[in-house]
Amino acid sequence: MTLSGWAAVFFWVFAVAALVAALLTILARNAVHSALFLISTLVSVAALYVLLGAEFIAGVQVLVYVGGVMVLFLFVIMLVNVSAEERGRELLFNKPGQVAASAIFLALLSLGLIYAIRQGYEGLALSARDRVPPASAEQTLPPNATRVARLSQETQRVGGSLYRYAAIPFEIASVLLLVAIVGSVMLARTTKQELAADDLDPELLPELARTEPELQTEIVEVAAARAALEAPAAGRDGGGES
Amino acid sequence: MNQILGVIVALAFQQAGGGVSGRGQLIWEGIKQPDLSKFLVIGALLFVVGVAGVLTRRNIIVIFMSVELILNAANLNFIAFARYLQDAGNPNAVAGQVFTVFIIVVAAAEAAIGLGIVIALYRNRETIFMDKIDLLKW
Repeated sequence: MTLSGWAAVFFWVFAVAALVAALLTILARNAVHSALFLISTLVSVAALYVLLGAEFIAGVQVLVYVGGVMVLFLFVIMLVNVSAEERGRELLFNKPGQVAASAIFLALLSLGLIYAIRQGYEGLALSARDRVPPASAEQTLPPNATRVARLSQETQRVGGSLYRYAAIPFEIASVLLLVAIVGSVMLARTTKQELAADDLDPELLPELARTEPELQTEIVEVAAARAALEAPAAGRDGGGES
Repeated sequence: MNQILGVIVALAFQQAGGGVSGRGQLIWEGIKQPDLSKFLVIGALLFVVGVAGVLTRRNIIVIFMSVELILNAANLNFIAFARYLQDAGNPNAVAGQVFTVFIIVVAAAEAAIGLGIVIALYRNRETIFMDKIDLLKW
């Protein structure tokens, strides 16, 4: 597998863009700048996917990551107050000792990874040398097939094996997404919203009445509603026992 | 445009080959025709940058972004190996791309849950700095 011609040029352009934007992501002082640099990294990696012939995954990457996840990040940055860090009053990084230890560890990690890739790739090339080169995917297409045909065939293959060999993981992923939706809604609610949905721990009600006086009327309403609900239930339980 | 590129490559090739060192020529060939190992190295470097962000930054939102970088490095490796296997003989080798779809799904779920936790944390502790969130530490 080698790229050549313009594909090689674009490979280097997008690889360098991805790495530089990734570095700027972790170095930027403003969190919004970090998010924008991360978007550049994700788009560059999507371009590398296109160079590798995975156009469907590139589209999914742009739609889901850039269109969904990064918008979520930007919303959260807007909701929390990060201005102290922007103005330089807060340190950007951990303590110097931690940063130095991390730098040593990361240098060892990158050296080890690159050494392992070199060794492994030599072995891979050695084992691939004896193999007979087969007909590539393009050659199996009819001669009048266009690039559009290749693109849709690639997507068809991904979809086919997604539903044929990975159907159960697919369903599990949908359950995971449902749990994520419900969980993030549960996590991000305020106390007032919990109170409005009558979903608050009843033992918290007196404490809440003390700490947040502006919620007094709602607290009284919820307490009254709870008392009205529990009174007949308790009567029924008592009747059943006797 | 291909002619322009050809001239540029020829010029650069002359300069690179001018050293008449076989090793330099080999490196230049590798740059001119990037193969699987180049993609793996780019993936490894993206991974290292992501780990650096997780280990050194204090802002929890930037740490989440670094986790996304790490996941993208893994995705790049999966796609590169899928292409390698396709070129090595099996045009139906798309398992790497299927894996990547699942990783993207899990990353989206993780980001949603994680950012929900960040908002809940900010509401309770008024901070998003990792070293100030130490309730369980002592």
